[in-house]
Amino acid sequence: MLERFVETIRERLSRPLQVYQDICVRCGACTDACHFYAESGEPAHMPAYRMMLAKKLMQHGASGGGTILDWYREARGADRRMLAELEKAMWECTGCRRCAVFCPFDLDTGLMVSLGRFSMLQDGLAPEMIAEIGDAEVSKGEVIDVIREFYLEQLHDLEARLQRDFAPGLRIPVEKEGARVLYVPLVGEHAVVPLAKIFHAAGEDWTLSMFTATNHSYFVGDMEKARKAAHWIVAEARRLGVQVLAYPECGHATRTLLHYFDNWFGEEIAGIQRVSVVELVESYLKEGKIRVRPGAFDVPLTYHDPCNLGRNAGLYEEPRALIRATATDFRELTPNRELNWCCGGGGGLIAAPEMKEARMRGGRPKAEQIRRTGAKWVVTACENCKTQLSDLSEHYELGVEIKGVVDLVADALIL
Amino acid sequence: MQTIAFLFYYVTPYVAVLVFVGGIAYRLYRWQQRRPVPVHMSLYPRPRSGPGRLLDTLTDMFTLRGLWKVNRPLWVGALAMHLGLLLLLVGHVRAFTDYYFVWRLLQWGPEQQTEFSHVAGTIAGLLFMLPLLYLLGRRFGGSVKWLSTPEDYFVLVLLLGIAITGNHMRFLLDVDSEQVRSFIQGLMRFQWQPPPWSAGTSFMYHFALVQLLMIYFPFSKLMHTIGTVLSKMVARS
Repeated sequence: MLERFVETIRERLSRPLQVYQDICVRCGACTDACHFYAESGEPAHMPAYRMMLAKKLMQHGASGGGTILDWYREARGADRRMLAELEKAMWECTGCRRCAVFCPFDLDTGLMVSLGRFSMLQDGLAPEMIAEIGDAEVSKGEVIDVIREFYLEQLHDLEARLQRDFAPGLRIPVEKEGARVLYVPLVGEHAVVPLAKIFHAAGEDWTLSMFTATNHSYFVGDMEKARKAAHWIVAEARRLGVQVLAYPECGHATRTLLHYFDNWFGEEIAGIQRVSVVELVESYLKEGKIRVRPGAFDVPLTYHDPCNLGRNAGLYEEPRALIRATATDFRELTPNRELNWCCGGGGGLIAAPEMKEARMRGGRPKAEQIRRTGAKWVVTACENCKTQLSDLSEHYELGVEIKGVVDLVADALIL
Repeated sequence: MQTIAFLFYYVTPYVAVLVFVGGIAYRLYRWQQRRPVPVHMSLYPRPRSGPGRLLDTLTDMFTLRGLWKVNRPLWVGALAMHLGLLLLLVGHVRAFTDYYFVWRLLQWGPEQQTEFSHVAGTIAGLLFMLPLLYLLGRRFGGSVKWLSTPEDYFVLVLLLGIAITGNHMRFLLDVDSEQVRSFIQGLMRFQWQPPPWSAGTSFMYHFALVQLLMIYFPFSKLMHTIGTVLSKMVARS
């Protein structure tokens, strides 16, 4: 049991992780950070406990067990209890890194969970769906020609509809060579429509990618596959000769774009500026390229900082600037920014149907936080968060509507 | 007893220093052997410039600013304990040499030096010992209990042992600092001197426990002293 797990961790334990495991003093500051632990009270949900589990298992292997040293280190063998705890520790985590903010040493449990997931995957102990979607994304460039015509046809219909309803001159260029901005959407027109409107209003020379930004291999900690999946997009950007690569309102993909691409692609990506659409749209507003109706929305609304845009990328003020430009009754969640509670749906959990119940439990702190503001709309900038927040609204009867930051801007545009 | 005392006074100190230095070097080497993570793992907000990040790391280390935001009682306990420890380390420099320069500058005679040491040492000793009791106590309840391993209790008990024997000498005995300095300097120069008789047996226990701490240090979570610089820089990479 768990042989390959131990082997994989031993082999792949990185320098930061080794330091983390060696220096964690188990002060317990992180226990207040985790939304899963806040709800369940189970040790396996404590961030420091998650970090220590793998260490205990590795140390057990080293001595064979039963010695006084094993007792002292609490080394533990691969038994049923260990397996059950590992499943909780590694999969019931959204990788939000709120615990790293709480930690006096800034230890990043998310990094441990990422390796833990990859190692469990080697033993076949992973929610199948997430890994499968990840695999599909790795080969998406090979199948793109099969769906190309269908995809283009759909976009053509969408374009015609927007020309009729929004602006006659609106275009949705796909794979346009020499465009300035390559926008990579998500599955579904909700990720295309608002941006098509905003790009049109800004007079941006843009083009739509044939691919989507999501990267499920990243969720299971398989960085080699995650790199391969993302490479289709980088190759497209190079082929088209764009200057800017813009990612949609999607947390994990934005994090890979901003923090992993340099290492994954080096020279290949060096000349291309990488941004989240939230940053891009905010720059349009700041530079006067677009105008919005101030006070377009008077509903009480709040903003949920997605972990990957906030804590993990520092995009705190940009979305707020866009919201303040369009809404009159903006209410902050408490706490917010780097201390914001995770929605409970990140880390790929949305893609695994069997995780729904855990998601709803882990989302309770978030639901209560939203309820306290009295907001009717919850605005956010991450697809995972949006799905999770909708589910939470239903589950906890919050009666809130979930909006994207770019939705607000698109609906308030002055042409 | 005589033999054991002799060992603790004149033999094991050298072992302790060697293990302490060698052990830390070994641990750093082990960290070095591991593959670095070449992606940005920053937590935001973070300072933009390189020197700014180092400064931020150090500020964080010396003020525990992060804990202040999220766990006030732990912040008070942890900061007081570490501050006390820092002051004690500064004070213990007097066991090796003395702040001759400072005394000259202040024009303090031996009497004033002793008096100052007494006040400052008492404050630092309490600042170190009382929070240790709190840090130990909190491990017996709540969620921290689930996290705690035997090591966590052992380290706190060991530090408490050092604090209690040290404070005993400070509060109840009239220790002649010249005797201590002569003994320690003797060890350093391999010209062995008698142990400070004015410090009683407490000195032997204190001295032995500190050696145990030094030997244990490199192989324990106490390496957070050094490791936190790395982990904090990773979070600001």
